[in-house]
Amino acid sequence: MTDSSMIGSAPRRIDGRRKVTGTAMYASDHHLQNMAYGYGVFSTVASGKITALELDAARKSPGVLEIFHHGNFPPLYHNSALPMSLAQILKAAKSDESRLPFEDETVYYAGQFVALVVADTFEHARAAAYKIKVSYSKNTAVANLDQGMKAGKLQDGSPNHNRGDAGAAFDSAAHSIDATYTTPVETHNPMEMHATVANWEDGRLIVYEASQGVVAHRNSLAKIFGLIPEKVEVRAPFIGSGFGSKLWIWPHSVAACGAAKVLNRPVQLVVPRQQMFTTTGHRPQTRQRLRLATDDKGKLVSVRHESINTTSFTDPFKENCGTSTKSLYSCANVSVTHKIIEVNRGTPTSMRAPGAAPGLFALESAMDEMADKIGMDPLAFRKLNVSERDESQNLPWSSNHLQECIDQAAERFGWSKRDPKPGSMKDGNEIIGYGMAACNWDAYRTPAEAQVSLRADGTAYAICGVQDIGTGTYTIVAQVVSSITGIALDKIEVELGNSSFPPAPVSGGSWATASVLPAIAEATRQAIEQLKAFSTAPKGVFAGTKADQVSFEQGQLKSGEKTFAITDVLKAQKQASAFGEAKTGMNDTSKHSFRSFGVHFVEVRWDPGISRLRVARVVSAIDVGKVINHKTSLNQVEGAIVMGVGMALFEATEFDERDGMPVNNNYAEYVVPVHADQPEIDVILLDYPDYELNEFGARGIGEIGITGLAAAVANAVSHATGKRIRDLPITLDKLMELPPTMSA
Amino acid sequence: MRALDYVRAGSVEQAVDAHSKSQTAFFLAGGTTLLDLVKLDVMPADQVIDVNHLSLKQIEVQKDGSVRIGALVTNTALAYHDYIVAHYPVLSQALLSGATTQLRNKATTAGNVMQRVRCNYFRDGYSPCNKREPGSGCAAIDGHNRSVHAVLGTSDQCIATHPSDMCVAMAAIGARVEVQGAKGKRSIDFLDFHLLPGSTPWKEHALQDDELITHVVLDAPLANSKSGYLKLRDRASYQFALASSAVILVMDGDTVRDARIAMGGVGTRPWRALEAERALKGATLTSQNMEKAAAIALQGAKPYRHNAYKIALGQQAIVRNLSTLTA
Amino acid sequence: MTDQPDNKEPACDLSAFTVPSRRNFLKSIGVSGLAAATAPMWAQALEAQAAVPDDTDAPAKDERRMTLKVNGQAHTLNLPANAALLDVLRDRLQLTGTKKGCDHGQCGACTVHINGAAINSCLSLAAMHEGDEITTVEGLAQNGKLHPVQEAFWEHDAYQCGYCTSGQIMSAVAMLQDKNIGSDDHSVREAMSGNICRCGAYKNILAAIQSARIKLQEVT
Repeated sequence: MTDSSMIGSAPRRIDGRRKVTGTAMYASDHHLQNMAYGYGVFSTVASGKITALELDAARKSPGVLEIFHHGNFPPLYHNSALPMSLAQILKAAKSDESRLPFEDETVYYAGQFVALVVADTFEHARAAAYKIKVSYSKNTAVANLDQGMKAGKLQDGSPNHNRGDAGAAFDSAAHSIDATYTTPVETHNPMEMHATVANWEDGRLIVYEASQGVVAHRNSLAKIFGLIPEKVEVRAPFIGSGFGSKLWIWPHSVAACGAAKVLNRPVQLVVPRQQMFTTTGHRPQTRQRLRLATDDKGKLVSVRHESINTTSFTDPFKENCGTSTKSLYSCANVSVTHKIIEVNRGTPTSMRAPGAAPGLFALESAMDEMADKIGMDPLAFRKLNVSERDESQNLPWSSNHLQECIDQAAERFGWSKRDPKPGSMKDGNEIIGYGMAACNWDAYRTPAEAQVSLRADGTAYAICGVQDIGTGTYTIVAQVVSSITGIALDKIEVELGNSSFPPAPVSGGSWATASVLPAIAEATRQAIEQLKAFSTAPKGVFAGTKADQVSFEQGQLKSGEKTFAITDVLKAQKQASAFGEAKTGMNDTSKHSFRSFGVHFVEVRWDPGISRLRVARVVSAIDVGKVINHKTSLNQVEGAIVMGVGMALFEATEFDERDGMPVNNNYAEYVVPVHADQPEIDVILLDYPDYELNEFGARGIGEIGITGLAAAVANAVSHATGKRIRDLPITLDKLMELPPTMSA
Repeated sequence: MRALDYVRAGSVEQAVDAHSKSQTAFFLAGGTTLLDLVKLDVMPADQVIDVNHLSLKQIEVQKDGSVRIGALVTNTALAYHDYIVAHYPVLSQALLSGATTQLRNKATTAGNVMQRVRCNYFRDGYSPCNKREPGSGCAAIDGHNRSVHAVLGTSDQCIATHPSDMCVAMAAIGARVEVQGAKGKRSIDFLDFHLLPGSTPWKEHALQDDELITHVVLDAPLANSKSGYLKLRDRASYQFALASSAVILVMDGDTVRDARIAMGGVGTRPWRALEAERALKGATLTSQNMEKAAAIALQGAKPYRHNAYKIALGQQAIVRNLSTLTA
Repeated sequence: MTDQPDNKEPACDLSAFTVPSRRNFLKSIGVSGLAAATAPMWAQALEAQAAVPDDTDAPAKDERRMTLKVNGQAHTLNLPANAALLDVLRDRLQLTGTKKGCDHGQCGACTVHINGAAINSCLSLAAMHEGDEITTVEGLAQNGKLHPVQEAFWEHDAYQCGYCTSGQIMSAVAMLQDKNIGSDDHSVREAMSGNICRCGAYKNILAAIQSARIKLQEVT
């Protein structure tokens, strides 16, 4: 009954025409009648109190409707600070930064909203915002992790894990390493700036939001404004990606909705790029100490991973750096600990592969250092230690093909040509380095709901409250409907990104595909069931036949030798459509451990004569279960690799040590890869279905590609230069041989 | 962006006249620097005088081989001009290494000469910055100064680099800047145009009030010269130089007959390395001599907290450029 | 206003501000419109330029009357001098295909053509472009037929989120007409480096451009 060729094919996106013609509508593209424009005023101290606001000049500025601040913004309800559980995700109302905008005069971080001008045009709002003078009483800012450690106390972070006796095993081991790795604050920097268009209509709040989770955003707004969720609708038909920064609600959205309510007219508020670095989340700074030990044959006998991440003074954000360390490699004695420390920065949030991206930089760098120490090939060392089951939970893997990933990618990459001696492989002015690292990410499945209609005009219509954040969700939803019904993709209409649709999770954690497709499939089958019922009802095409004698085959209802098209069945009953809806649940996590696996092989080229380092080539093999759409899936991994190159070589959001102010909060000085940095990329998708997770065997693919990439680069750099860089990013100055007098 | 008045100038005289009537008027050409900084409210323009319609868009090759470039010639037009490509490859390469296709299509020759610094403490609008607010101090000296801060020509008042690539090539080539003001026309030696910060970092150039750049006249190309621009940075494109070099060489066999060297990314102005040139003239171009010249070029460099590497990187930019030109 | 018991600064009296009638329009293409559509939304040609009426009232004190020619169509608008071309295209002409990604010339999402050359519309005042031919992504497709570069971007999945796509396409179209820029991959990557794609779809964008190059050569 299923056209299986549709699953695992590579059709172009059903929303592609909109994207290439500029007609895909992102949040700030929506211009409502009588819409006013907001422009924020942001704190220019990182810690302190607002002592005065000079608003007169701004008030007199043309077109100004209102200026909001802590003295006049309406009091609202706090969003819940409860930790999110996957089982409850459809009801989740969550803010990483639970403080509401303009709550009081306290400033916790640079770039915090201190006022909001609303005017009739964007030009008027911005011009007025520049006329506002804010005075502060300044406190000494806690500017970074080091300062936090001196000023404050470590608090508990993500859950710890302990098995065996890692300390004793380390002390008595044949070989060991002890190294500390650091990663800086990184900023998601999706191309679309955070934006809200808020509109109140008859007590209902309708919001266009750059959101990765319309249902969660709806739930949060309902809580904050004291409404039942049905009174709020959040729409995000398209979002200019988020990478985690648009998972949960940020202050701007509350500010815009509050302003729209007070002014009783729609308000658009876009967060400027500079403030994307301050008030819409970031990947926190981390410090991670890794201690590994092996026996004389290279088998791991002790693994310790202690991590600290920075968080804000308002909320405890926990970066789960040891998530992979618990189970990726087999070892009897493992200790993973997480701590957090407060600094004067905005609250961090999940950024693509939270925990795993910085965590695997540390672990997979340490694995290379360990292999070096014992004189083993890094590939052989990993293969020797890859775990056969999840030893942290004592469960078998649902599906794990890491060994095959390593073999396939090594072959494609040409790892066997690697001369292990650092600096030994040369090409003209360039020294070539080869490095590898494993990648790893959780495989989740959450509850989800969907509705599907099969229409009398031969089309189908599917709706779901999930989002397409650029990953291709629109298209794979259509592929599922098509695979079951045989209806062509161009006759399937899909609508997503509306909180009034059947609820679905935030598009994050790489769980959207695994969670939503089963609901779409089940809703489609339910629609077919209704179709069958129509066919056997009086006047139906199979009137008088028992429903269980009707089957659905190759897009048609069949009974005996007779077949009827969907449209004929519906027309016979004068029905516009056959309807199906479904609620699907989570996977059974009691019998299996679910993760995705993979490996990156990286070639770097280091030209010491001009201190130029570049990533020239990446070959990756990824095991994410069944691939639904090869076009969009490959794109996800290739894009994650590009972001990984940024993480490895360029990206760091920097704050002045003296006052905690951001110093490169713009798209020129926060360096991300451009076209010219693109390495040659070759991605292999293993495509083994994981039926323990869902009927398609599909796990997620959005995050895994960035994990391990920075470590693979660092390992390649070490091979090329003999220098081990444990502090990201690996900028050229860290590799230069500077005379002692030049190190200021 | 604050409210402002827009005037479209029909002639140089009109433009200069309009400028003289306001303390907060700025000439608007490509807008890639000005509008960026007006949006940040760092350049507090109450009036912009659009000079884009002045007839200053010609590239004229003169009888002596020198070339007179209209102030409004875009970076793109200049970079691809046949005569520039053939006789001043260093300039063409420098232009194409700067910014992006789109920005070069807007950015003009005069605007690029007038480009402002990229120091974040200048751009943020609130940090102490002697350029933005004379006497307020310099947050960069003890702050973050890795990428757009200098090691040459700095003072205790300002350490920001001049960000232009084009100007580095022009400094090597030699040029005069033709300007016109209320008091008439004059021309300024290119090497005197950009000022060291010294104790007056807010004075960035030799223009008098109300003077408008009308042309840049490049010295005639050195006969039988080879030239090239090498720009070093973190990512491969769309970034200001961490260090760059513009080199023009006239060789006589293995011996250097004439050499011009200028540097970007390391100096507070487009940095001509005259001493290094002297060291090369008459010398054989061995790697030892190249390294020696490069070391001379960076002599006296003062490292700051995060940019000591530029002293080495600047030398590498010179050595590799020299060796590539003679390879 | 009853929602603000702590309000020390009373909200402005809204009646004191006249809202210009010309801004009282609703964009014709919106999600609510889509939901009502009966034909599959993806099959519809949606690139039709929204009709935005010219301003007929006198310019306000801080405005001036300007005529901008966009995608071949002249628009007479009352605009303040500090209005950036990007904001006028988006907020006034409803041509929201052109995106704001940074507002400072640091990303390329706002790329449009002025007289055929790609530029950053965020760093232009609208007033600078009176008399110019302005082309946005909405002006590329002709009679519902996609430009070969648009077709190639779709076919090669040369995007993910789509937000930088208009700018990438505008740059690519201009680049493919530019004889100064080489046709090799390296030259294309360098010439396209002014368009950041944070999703990292660079590999597919390059493939799309090189395939469109062949298509365009076949056409001419």
